[in-house]
Amino acid sequence: MKLTRRTALAGLGLGMGFAGAATRARAGGTIKATWNGWPDSQVKPLFDAFNKAHPETAASYELIPFSDLFQTLEVRLGARTAEPDVYSCDSPLSASYGVRKQAMLLNDVLDRGQFSKSCVDAASFRGNMYSAPFSTSSQLLFYNRALFKQAGIEPPETDIARRWTWEQVAEAGRKITDPARNRWGLVIEQAERPYQLLPLGQSLGGTALSDDGLKATGYIDGPAFVEGFTFMQRLYTDWKIAQPGVFDPNVTPDVFGSGRAGMFLGGTFNLGLFRDKYKDLDWGVAPHPYFAKGKPVTPTGSWHIGVNPRTNDKAGVAAFIRFMTSTEPQLEWFKLRPYVPVRLDVWDKLPEVFDTPIWRIIRNEVQTTAVARPSTPGWREYEDLLRQCLRDMQSGGDVKSMLTDTAGKIDRQLLKYRNV
Amino acid sequence: MRAKWWVPFAFLAPALLGLLLFRVVPILLSLGGGFTATDLTGETSFAGWSNYAALADDPEFWNSVRVTLVFNMIINPLQVVLAFALALLMARPGPGVGALRTAILLPITVSIALTSVMWNLLLDPGVGPVNGLLRSLGLPAQPFFHSEGQALPSLIAICTWRGVGYWMFFMLGGLGAIPPEVNEAASIDGAGAWRRLWHITLPLMRRSFAFVLIADTAANFLLFAPVYIITTGGPRGSTSLLMFEAYRAAFTLLDNGRSLAISTVILLIIGAVATLELRFFRVDEAA
Repeated sequence: MKLTRRTALAGLGLGMGFAGAATRARAGGTIKATWNGWPDSQVKPLFDAFNKAHPETAASYELIPFSDLFQTLEVRLGARTAEPDVYSCDSPLSASYGVRKQAMLLNDVLDRGQFSKSCVDAASFRGNMYSAPFSTSSQLLFYNRALFKQAGIEPPETDIARRWTWEQVAEAGRKITDPARNRWGLVIEQAERPYQLLPLGQSLGGTALSDDGLKATGYIDGPAFVEGFTFMQRLYTDWKIAQPGVFDPNVTPDVFGSGRAGMFLGGTFNLGLFRDKYKDLDWGVAPHPYFAKGKPVTPTGSWHIGVNPRTNDKAGVAAFIRFMTSTEPQLEWFKLRPYVPVRLDVWDKLPEVFDTPIWRIIRNEVQTTAVARPSTPGWREYEDLLRQCLRDMQSGGDVKSMLTDTAGKIDRQLLKYRNV
Repeated sequence: MRAKWWVPFAFLAPALLGLLLFRVVPILLSLGGGFTATDLTGETSFAGWSNYAALADDPEFWNSVRVTLVFNMIINPLQVVLAFALALLMARPGPGVGALRTAILLPITVSIALTSVMWNLLLDPGVGPVNGLLRSLGLPAQPFFHSEGQALPSLIAICTWRGVGYWMFFMLGGLGAIPPEVNEAASIDGAGAWRRLWHITLPLMRRSFAFVLIADTAANFLLFAPVYIITTGGPRGSTSLLMFEAYRAAFTLLDNGRSLAISTVILLIIGAVATLELRFFRVDEAA
């Protein structure tokens, strides 16, 4: 093509147009979020509220299903571009994103004192805060009153002092299970994830990883975890009160909700689901079980917000995370999806909710029995390898040798972090 | 009028460009990437043979190689033989052929991801209809994907269910290309169906067999979705195909060099097997 004066002018005009558009966009500020795939109805109100409160910045989001979220973030953050500006960060991955320079240091952006200590711990690695606490979690033992009545068993009580032991859960489960009627004693919401299953060993005094977060051998394959995970294996292989191969947290609540399980060990976020979707289900809750010879330990931690250090709008994202972690949006978030609050002041804002038997249990768990997942930059590798091992254990095999084998694999993966 | 020399290339250009961008360039990047290491912050540096040395010392990698070879040694001949048998069935018009053809071709229309989700539910040990059927027949329920011994055979079964109709198409094309007079002449000379199959059909189908076997081998060595969706390599590494290991190295263990080294190994294995297969058919043709 010959370069004439007309084409040159047209090109210049077009270029200026793009430049102008870019300047306008920058002046306005945009934040793109890669967000966990919660229902849109639970996400949109918070983003709308932010956009209303901060008209100078336009925040938008893309919902990624939970099962694909980590891989998606790995690709997007690994590309080392400015997008996404913010993202849903699983709290134990804060250290991993931090040491890989995929999460911005938030020490000066947020006031740590406004959050529960366990949330700040989950967000931090060696004293530096790499994610903004957005929600935390606790687990409850849900039970189906009708199935307990049919089996002639008294259901567990809400009283923390009369917390059921795992042995009681197994016994009740055996009475309720009826494979011919596709009825199961117990459904575990995230039945292959360390988040949910580490407390089995921790309840017996085990420590899941060394203090420096870099060694699994001697910890995850120690006697406490061998005993705890052997008990878990028996739920599937000996007593057969739990359905093997049912791991998907998108499915497990529905197994309980549809009346096919006597007990459901699941997160507080299911309270709304059972209340709204399964109106005919007659259910109750009790505290998380523990081993008779051990101590109560409950899972905790949940979704935080990570900030991409390469964002083009540092002021905008700072405003975004301050907004999302402030009191009113946190109250709104709680109403949309009842995650356990991360802010201390929120516990006192809704006495009609938090001063009820269910939430008294949860508050107690978060403050006294919750043990965070190990703080390590290699959580992703640790979780994946242990997860595969937990799956395998549920179909039988020698628990000790499987754990020792997995611990060795984890140690090899954690070597790369020894100079961090 | 003779077309100019570049005209055929102009017509082929879009396809060649696609091939270059989506096949040749990624292969070259993979070959080069196998010799690199990426540090925690994403900086890449030359690492020599270290990724390959690490693979050579890794029992998990060797288990994957073993599983991948066993998988391919079973699934490729199985699919080729079944595809040929089905093509023979389809080649002759007869009662019920239309319905049979639909039944065989229907699985091709289902994506491999959907196939995986569907069969995962159908073969579920607890609530799956297949076990329901077994129970109703008085047979014991099977663990399928949840058993170390049954997971790989189950994987082979569902991949064959989906793939065999596709490969049958090529076999059907090959059968159609056999001149009918050759068979007619053999019939007149008194050759029975078995002798015609052995001495006429099979020798004339060599090219079709070669194509289907090589293409099927490449497809099955690159199989990923069912492992990712259903088994994630388990139970106990029994379905840990190399493609899944490559994915896992990159996305879970955050080791791009290892992932690309595994990809290169897969490429080399496919190249070697395809060369052997091609040579086998060529030698036969010359004989």
